[in-house]
Amino acid sequence: MTQVNIGLRVNGKKVNETIESRQSLADFLRETLLLTGTHLGCEHGVCGACTVWINGAPSRSCITLAASCDDAEVISIEGFKDDPQMEKLRSAFISEHALQCGYCTPGMLITAYDIVHRLPDADDNRLRLELAGNLCRCTGYKGIVCALRRVLGPPSENG
Amino acid sequence: MANTGIGAAVARKEDGRFLHGRGQFVGDIKLAGMLDAAFVRSPVAHGRIVSIDVPEQFHEAVFTAKDLTGLKTIRANSGLKGFKSSEQPPLASNKVRLVGELLAVCVGGNRALAEDVVDEVFANIEELEPVTDMLSARAPDVPLVHEEWGDNVFLETNVDTGVEAALASAPVKISRRLRMSRQCMAPLEGRGVVAEWNHRTQQLVVHTATQIPHIVRTGLAECLGLDESAVRVTAPDVGGGFGYKAILLPEELVVCWLAIHLHRPVRWLEDRREALTASANAREHYYDITLCADEEGKFLALDAKVTVDAGAYSSYPFTACLEATQVASILPGPYNFPAYRCQTWSVATNKCPILPYRGVARAGVCYALESMVDLVARKINKEPHDVRLENLITPEQMPFDNIVNKHFDSGDYPECLKRAAAAIDVEGVRKRQVLGEPDGRLVGLGMGIFNEQAAHGTAVYSAWGIPMIPGYEQAFVRFTPDGGLEVRVGIQCHGQGSETTLAQVAHEILGLDIESIKIVHGDTELSPYSTGTWGSRVMVMSGGAVATACEKLCERIQLIGAHLLQAELEDTQVEDGYVKAPSGQISLIDVARTWYHRPQDLPADVDRQGLEVTAGYKLRRDDGTFSYAAHAAVLAVDPHFGTVEIIKYVVVEDGGVLINPMIVDGQILGGAAQGIGTALYEEMPFDENGQPLFSTLADYVLPGATEVPNIHIEHMETPSPYSLFGQKGIGEGGAIGSVAAVTNAVNDALCRVGAEVCETPMTPRRILTAIQDAKSQRESVGT
Repeated sequence: MTQVNIGLRVNGKKVNETIESRQSLADFLRETLLLTGTHLGCEHGVCGACTVWINGAPSRSCITLAASCDDAEVISIEGFKDDPQMEKLRSAFISEHALQCGYCTPGMLITAYDIVHRLPDADDNRLRLELAGNLCRCTGYKGIVCALRRVLGPPSENG
Repeated sequence: MANTGIGAAVARKEDGRFLHGRGQFVGDIKLAGMLDAAFVRSPVAHGRIVSIDVPEQFHEAVFTAKDLTGLKTIRANSGLKGFKSSEQPPLASNKVRLVGELLAVCVGGNRALAEDVVDEVFANIEELEPVTDMLSARAPDVPLVHEEWGDNVFLETNVDTGVEAALASAPVKISRRLRMSRQCMAPLEGRGVVAEWNHRTQQLVVHTATQIPHIVRTGLAECLGLDESAVRVTAPDVGGGFGYKAILLPEELVVCWLAIHLHRPVRWLEDRREALTASANAREHYYDITLCADEEGKFLALDAKVTVDAGAYSSYPFTACLEATQVASILPGPYNFPAYRCQTWSVATNKCPILPYRGVARAGVCYALESMVDLVARKINKEPHDVRLENLITPEQMPFDNIVNKHFDSGDYPECLKRAAAAIDVEGVRKRQVLGEPDGRLVGLGMGIFNEQAAHGTAVYSAWGIPMIPGYEQAFVRFTPDGGLEVRVGIQCHGQGSETTLAQVAHEILGLDIESIKIVHGDTELSPYSTGTWGSRVMVMSGGAVATACEKLCERIQLIGAHLLQAELEDTQVEDGYVKAPSGQISLIDVARTWYHRPQDLPADVDRQGLEVTAGYKLRRDDGTFSYAAHAAVLAVDPHFGTVEIIKYVVVEDGGVLINPMIVDGQILGGAAQGIGTALYEEMPFDENGQPLFSTLADYVLPGATEVPNIHIEHMETPSPYSLFGQKGIGEGGAIGSVAAVTNAVNDALCRVGAEVCETPMTPRRILTAIQDAKSQRESVGT
């Protein structure tokens, strides 16, 4: 098996590891670094449960090779521990019952984090479109949309 | 203190860990020295194993049936007369009966390495002709899934109250052949199991993603030949179930065997391809159904022949026949039928076994029956909800024993329907339909009403004779020395919020802060035996058990409290976390401390069993509770693309007394999203060779945020006379009425162009085909 050395920052900490070249970033986070907050739902890039933050954008860690993350800045759900915006989202997720089994939740939160930063004026239809890459089998999405709405405030007239 | 008892929309106690990525799912468990397992699976649907060839260098990493000494096959028999038994081997040794059946297991230091070994194993299988269609499976001279049976029928059932007279003379008689496709339940987390042998406790410890830890323990002990005390099953956080995780898996047996024989912890995590193509499916019903009515739409008789494709094996513990037998017992729905006949067949095919998926047979039954009601309404030119009103059981008739002796507990079904009709604005939609849409789309309105038997118990399941019959549900409660309350229950929470709602129940009795109440579940070592979480039973059964145990604990606390307060017992009461008497009050924390730390202060007649109670609970009737709901949808069908957009969606639900309305709404919303999937998107097709055609979530379409509308919910609250607080089970209803509401709306839209779809999911292709067929028919009539 081909081995490669990678150096990257994960949740603010420098990490240097020798890994199998075929290893996905999700497996690297979960199995090597024991950061199990990143979940695997489909392992083919559809369900969004494995979404993490790579170099400032939400990305599918299940179809990203860890080897391609050399020099990257990766933040998994554990790395948002003290982030005030994420704390607002967490609190809104609780108030709006935006999670049930909790399996899609870390990926959903990271997508939601991206939406509130990138599209502060989004209306509900846009929120739903943006959430379409993250599947939730429990909630029917209403709570998740309402949680985002709670954080963003009422849609602007131009939204 | 804010109300956190029954009826309060309390925020969930379990949310915190999930929101920080600190939930603990099976895949998150990593044990020292753990091996990963991966399976070699059958590439063909039906065949005889000639040989399984393992290259020399992998002999120590690969195990086949001949290695698995001492393992029994999985048998899940029904006690119903005529049931034919199947034996599911942990690893196939002779025949394979479905694509994905286990042939061999490979181990490696991680999952990728184990999968590398899988690629090196070659299975030489002589193919047999497969049985892939449940209807032709009953024809003579077809191949047999289980040769010793002589046919392909697990079970045939018959109910007949006499329908011939109505069939001969009914003024309105509508017949259809309706099909509900095979589905995957698809919780976001797949199955998974980690097993190890603990030498200190001489126990097999199994961490598994299950809804039914105690039942899995019983099944494992039986198949592995171990004492039950030598098996401990824990279900950690479970990422959704919906019925998919209410099964004893052959993979579980194999992984446990490996852990015992290799003296190493072994893990298997199902991937999505395995979940979609090789693990259990759900539904696949076929209805040949006739509804008879008079000119006003009053129902005269219902007659149906129903076939369910049960797949190759009978799954433990629910069996291959629960689905079809349930069809026969619930097909009359919430209506009053004077005559009823239903014949069912649970058919074996070379496909994955089926499991009861959220709503079980009710989703299919409600779809079939409500489709027929709409057709009758169309025939006599009445509004469908008026025909429903004509036939629904009325509140004056409650409690009501229907034609198949189902005992409906309480409710006002007509009021529920009327409220749904008002909320969806039937008149407004009809006007809009007359005006037509500027973009040429066809607008349709559909409704579905149903009742949902939940928390049904001993008598019901013993009549079916399946391996698992629920009896008294138990709870164990214990005051800790610092005045906290531990509540141990045998159910398993996988998203329902039971860690919160059961704490609300305990709070209701003892008045303790719910933050100091801890619900312990998902571990056979720590909880009383239970059949687990299924059948919308937790809030009724486990809720009843927790309340009963807390009441008994309350009596003991009161006795100690009265003594400490030097008050007469009858002058005291337990309220808001205190024992109160006219002379003063003492906190429950002080009572707990007295028992544990100051026994010298206890009364002489104190209950020596202390501050621990196990109590059992059963409903006053085994029939369970009947929640009910009406779903109503307005949608637009694009006649050029066949696409469907849901414009408005309303649910009026009566779940009796709601323990936590926020969580109830969450169950309804999530269920409705799944029902919308059933109606419009989800299908697991097989080709004529028995090959499953979808293997990714790009093929098998789960509804996303853009497919599920903003659903509006209204509540009614008719208590059940039989449950402790009047609560009713509602966990599955969302997935039941939604299928009928959406499919009826599609056909209401299509009837404007003379078209009709008689199959779920109503995909663009099926809708366009129906429109094209209707057009061809009109043209052929015209020529």
